[in-house]
Amino acid sequence: MSEIHVEHPTPKKYVQIAIVLGVLTAIEIALYYTEDIVGVFTDPLLIILAVGKFVIVVGWFMHLRFENKLINRFFTGGMILALILFAIVMFERASANFF
Amino acid sequence: MSSSHAYPHEPTGVETRKLGMWVFLSTEILFFGTLITTFMIFKGRDFPGIKLTDVYDIPFTSISSFILLMSSLTMVLAHNALEANDQEKTRVWLLATAMLGAVFLAGQIYEFTEFYHKGFELGTNIFSSTFYVLTGFHGLHVFIGVVLLLALWSIGQRQQGLTLEGGMNLEFVALYWHFVDIVWIVLFTVVYLI
Repeated sequence: MSEIHVEHPTPKKYVQIAIVLGVLTAIEIALYYTEDIVGVFTDPLLIILAVGKFVIVVGWFMHLRFENKLINRFFTGGMILALILFAIVMFERASANFF
Repeated sequence: MSSSHAYPHEPTGVETRKLGMWVFLSTEILFFGTLITTFMIFKGRDFPGIKLTDVYDIPFTSISSFILLMSSLTMVLAHNALEANDQEKTRVWLLATAMLGAVFLAGQIYEFTEFYHKGFELGTNIFSSTFYVLTGFHGLHVFIGVVLLLALWSIGQRQQGLTLEGGMNLEFVALYWHFVDIVWIVLFTVVYLI
């Protein structure tokens, strides 16, 4: 059986990634407490940070960036379907079709 | 040595069990996506009874979130150790991951108890119901993850130890555990911070 080997990060690299995740979490909490200063940018910044953490964990810890395209498509497909559902419902909510 | 494998003998080029695991995770995204969407419909609306913002404790939940985030590190280190065929390190990191998950669960139970004492209960209003269903289902997933991790640790105590092939696969449990972590990354922002 022939196998294609793709190098995964080393333990040292994983620790560095975890430090980055910890720093991003600290920034999130700091943003929460400085909402009065940051103002309308707080929520978009919190979403960007969450997306960043999500991508880091999926890409590096779950090794998705090293995986087969088919696996990437399944995972991305699930994400897209969930986001479409979210967008439709939020649009309906904004249109006051709920209650 | 750390590596990803291609499976040219499989029609898809991917190990079927692994592909199945990713398809399962994809359905889990839709499951949590639905729960989050339902939660967001009611968030920010006025309902009778005490509000979530009156009862939650951001510093406490932040520490819980950090603990779960770090459990992803110990999980990936366990996977890495097994790829290097270091059984002892694998067991240590697996147990560390299970313990961190158990601490997170203990924190969630404490948080729910506090909320109940303050009057934010499952039946307080429809928003509180969506909160408990969403975070409760995540907690259930963490609990299942801890059980799987302890089962793997127990299997690892046997003479043959753990392997990456066959049986209860550490890689799949790791994928499940990281998934539980990414769901919490979203929940922490959506439920508590925004």
